[in-house]
Amino acid sequence: MNVVETTIRNRREALGQVVDTVDKFADEHHLAADIVADVQLALDEILTNIVNYGYTDDAEHEIRICLRVGDGILETTVEDDGVPFNPLESIKPDTSAPLQERRIGGVGLHFVKNLMDEVSYARVGDRNRVVLRKNLIV
Amino acid sequence: MDLKEEQVGGVTVLAVKGRLDSTTSLVLGERLTAMLGAAKARVLVDLSQLEYISSAGFRVLLMAAKRADQNTAKLVLCGVSGKVGQLFDLGGFLDLFSIAATRNEGITAAG
Repeated sequence: MNVVETTIRNRREALGQVVDTVDKFADEHHLAADIVADVQLALDEILTNIVNYGYTDDAEHEIRICLRVGDGILETTVEDDGVPFNPLESIKPDTSAPLQERRIGGVGLHFVKNLMDEVSYARVGDRNRVVLRKNLIV
Repeated sequence: MDLKEEQVGGVTVLAVKGRLDSTTSLVLGERLTAMLGAAKARVLVDLSQLEYISSAGFRVLLMAAKRADQNTAKLVLCGVSGKVGQLFDLGGFLDLFSIAATRNEGITAAG
């Protein structure tokens, strides 16, 4: 199987489940540890953002994660029904500000953009769809 | 994530093992806040056994560094290498923290 799909609740404690799913998928497809580490981090940052800031209510929502490997690419798709949020429009953090003025906001998405080869965003109906692509062949 | 605390001379060495993500970082944050609240605290955080860090992990380290700076406490990091080291670089954190090459140098720097 070149595709695996999983759904989690919008709760912080559910994120560990995704780590396991990615590890298992990576094992099955013999993906390089370095690439898997980058994808784990990017996915964690995207999901943490959704869980922390994606919803205006306290209700349970489902977040869909799909991993696909093919054509030398590992593609990770994340879909949520939270507030519209385009991670590509996030502000670039000032990584040279001195200690007391340094803000952490934006660092997570800065990691995502730098560790992935391609990041795309679309608002599809009432859902955000983020696609992360990582080249398997350097 | 596991935290192991050790007293070496006047320096408290906190070894962080495992994963620093949005859940586990809170535990480290609380620990560091308590440690750096003491007058003239001297703390070395050993990251050599850290396998994973996300921006949530950097957030608590950044908050701890700010707190240390304000309280004239000392916070030094060591064991910043490999994948974790790459992320320190990518996030522009290498110049922000006091980072020692080895645990022993860190103890000297913090003391």
